Amino acid sequence: MHHAFKLGDAEHNVALSRGPGVYRLHREGHTVSVTLAELHNGRALLSIGDHSVEVVVATRGDDVFVHLDGEAYQLRYRHPLDRLAASAGGSADDSIRAPMPGSIVAVQVTVGDAVTKGQTLLVMESMKMETTIAAPRDGVIEALSYEKGQTFDRDALLVKLAAAGKA
Amino acid sequence: MSHSSAPSSWPFDSVLVANRGEIAVRVLRTVKKLGLRGIVVYHAADRGALAVTMADQAIEITGSTPVAAYLDAAQILAAAKASGAGAIHPGYGFLSENTGFARAVEAAGLVFIGPRPEQIELMGDKVRARNFVEKGGFPVAPSAIEDDDPATFVERARLVGAPLLIKPSAGGGGKGMRIVRDLSLLEGEIERARSEGLRYFGDGRLYVERYIENPRHIEVQVLGDAYGNVVHVFERECSVQRRFQKIVEETPSPALDAPLRERICETAAGIARSAGYRNAGTVEFIFGQGGEFYFLEMNTRLQVEHPVTEEITGLDLVHEQLRVAAGETLRLQQHDIRSSGHSIEFRIYAEDPGRGYTPTTGPVLVLHPPQGEGVRWDSGVVQGGEVTSAFDPMIAKLIIRGRDRSDAIARADAALRDTVLLGCKTNTAFLRRLIAHPAFIAGDVHTGFLDANPQIAADPELGEDRLQALLAVAAMSTQPLREGADVIPELHAAIGDWTN
Repeated sequence: MHHAFKLGDAEHNVALSRGPGVYRLHREGHTVSVTLAELHNGRALLSIGDHSVEVVVATRGDDVFVHLDGEAYQLRYRHPLDRLAASAGGSADDSIRAPMPGSIVAVQVTVGDAVTKGQTLLVMESMKMETTIAAPRDGVIEALSYEKGQTFDRDALLVKLAAAGKA
Repeated sequence: MSHSSAPSSWPFDSVLVANRGEIAVRVLRTVKKLGLRGIVVYHAADRGALAVTMADQAIEITGSTPVAAYLDAAQILAAAKASGAGAIHPGYGFLSENTGFARAVEAAGLVFIGPRPEQIELMGDKVRARNFVEKGGFPVAPSAIEDDDPATFVERARLVGAPLLIKPSAGGGGKGMRIVRDLSLLEGEIERARSEGLRYFGDGRLYVERYIENPRHIEVQVLGDAYGNVVHVFERECSVQRRFQKIVEETPSPALDAPLRERICETAAGIARSAGYRNAGTVEFIFGQGGEFYFLEMNTRLQVEHPVTEEITGLDLVHEQLRVAAGETLRLQQHDIRSSGHSIEFRIYAEDPGRGYTPTTGPVLVLHPPQGEGVRWDSGVVQGGEVTSAFDPMIAKLIIRGRDRSDAIARADAALRDTVLLGCKTNTAFLRRLIAHPAFIAGDVHTGFLDANPQIAADPELGEDRLQALLAVAAMSTQPLREGADVIPELHAAIGDWTN
C-alpha cells in the first residue's frame, strides 16, 4: 500500500516493504534498501542504498521531525482515509484548521453565510502578529468554533464549511 | 568570564530576578557564582523552565496572561518581600525600563539593579533624550520641525542637508514620507508631502530629518557607578535585522577603524557621563556609509546581546551591575578594559524565515545545543519543554568567539549546523545561509540588508538525495508503514522489486 508524507506544501507517495534484513523504500518507480539504526537521544544511523548518514529523529503524533545534514525538517504522515476522503470530494477543505496557536481577533462571517474562495473568514493573532484565515473554496459556513478573544491550539478546527454540493 | 572577587560584604544577600527565559538563567548564574541567594518569579506557563529549576527559591505569580504576570509590579514586590530578597534584577524587557517600578523597588527598601529612576525617565522619552544629548554637544541627526517656526521652515529644512526625509508630523507607517536628494527640488517636495499629509492624516504639518542611506546600527556598551565614573566596553554592531529586530550582533564592528571606534565609544561614554549614569547601559547610534553617526537612543538596562561584549573582554556585566548597584565604585578604569578576538551572537528564533519570519510553536522534543571551543549557548529552553505563543519567540542565543572575524564565522557555521532542535521550526538554517552571503562575509551589511536580499530567507530547493533520505526516515519512523511492511511476506516485497 502507498502512503504519503507532507513536506512543506508538497505531498510525496512512498511504500515500505520488508527485504532480507533490510527494509525497502519504494518511490516513483524506484526501490532502495533502507535501515535506520537507533543510537541514543534521538540520534540514528540511516543507511540508504550504499550511503550512510547520521540523523536525529523525533516523532509526535503524525509528525516526524528529522535533523539531516545541519537542517531540521518536519514531515507529516497523511492517513490513507483522509486522503481518500480528500480525493473523493474535496472534503479536506471542509475543515479549516489553525496554522498556529493564537487567539481570535475578529470573526467576519456567521453560520449560514455563503462565502467565496479567498474571502476573509477570521482574523487571528499569534505572537503579536495578525493573520487572516480565508475560505479555501466557495461554500457555506456550517460551524464556527471560536468567538472573538478566545484562544486555540495549532490544528484546532476553526471553521467548518458545509460539504460541497450540500449547499 | 572573570571570577574577580566580590566586595567583602554585599548590602544584600539575595537577588530576585523579575524576568524569565534565558536572561533569568543568565542573571541567576552570576548571582549564584557570587554566593548570593537567587530567587525567581514565574508564571505557571514557565513551571518547567530552567530558571525555575536553578533558582534557590521560585515564587509563582499569576496574571490574565503570562506576560501580564511578569508586568505586575505589585505582585513581584510582594514576592520579594515574602522571600526576603534584598535586591531586584529586572533583566531586559518587562519592567526593566519602567520608572514607576524602579521607584517602587527603592521605596520598598530594596536595591534596584539598574539606574536611578530619573535616568530611566530621561532616556525613556525619545524627544527628551534627543534634546538632552544635543544640548550636551553630542551628535544627533540634523532635523527641522515646522511647528517650531513655520515661516522659516523651508530655510531650516535646507540647512538639514541632502539627502533628507520629509515626514508628516501626524504620520506613521511610512505614509506621506518623501526622500529629497536634490535640494533644488525641496520646496516642491515639501508641498507634495503637505498635501499627502492632509490627505492621509488631515494634518499638513511636517518635519524633516537627515536621511541616512543604508544605515548601520552600532551601539556602545557603557558602565557607570553612582559617583559619576563611566567607562565604555566597546561597540557592538547589530545591523542585520528583520522586522526592525536584531538577529545577529557582533563585536568589533567591521565598519570601524581604530580612530572611528575610539570616537564613537568615547561619544557614548560622554553621553552616559553627562547623565550621571549608574548601571550597565547601551547607547545606540545610526551610522552612515560615510562614517557619520548620530544618537538614536539609550537603553538603561542589560541588553539581549551583552554576551558578545563579555566574550571579547572577559567581563561579567551582570557582576558589574551588581557592584555598582551595591554602591561600589567602578573597579575598572578605561585602560583596564581590553578586547581580543571577535564575537558574534545569533538569536535562535522559533520562526519560519521562508514564510515571512512567521512565528512557530511546538514541543522541544530533542535539543542538542552545540558544543566546542568558543561556543556559548544562553537559553532558558530545555528538552521536553514547549515553545508557546505566550512569549517572545527567542529560544536561545548562540554566542561564538573566534580569533578574528573569519574564524568566528567558520565556528558559527559549524555550531549552527550542530544545533539540533526538533519539534519546532527555527531559523538556524537561515542563519547559516546569511553568514555564507558574500556581503556578510565582507562585513558590508546595513539595516535593510535582509529586505534587499529576500532570497536568503527563502527555503532552498530540496535535492533529490535529501528528499529520499527524509522520506526514508519518515517511513521507517511511522508505525503504519513499519507494521505494513512487517506483515507483508518477502514474496510481496519481491514483487515490489519486479515492478520496477
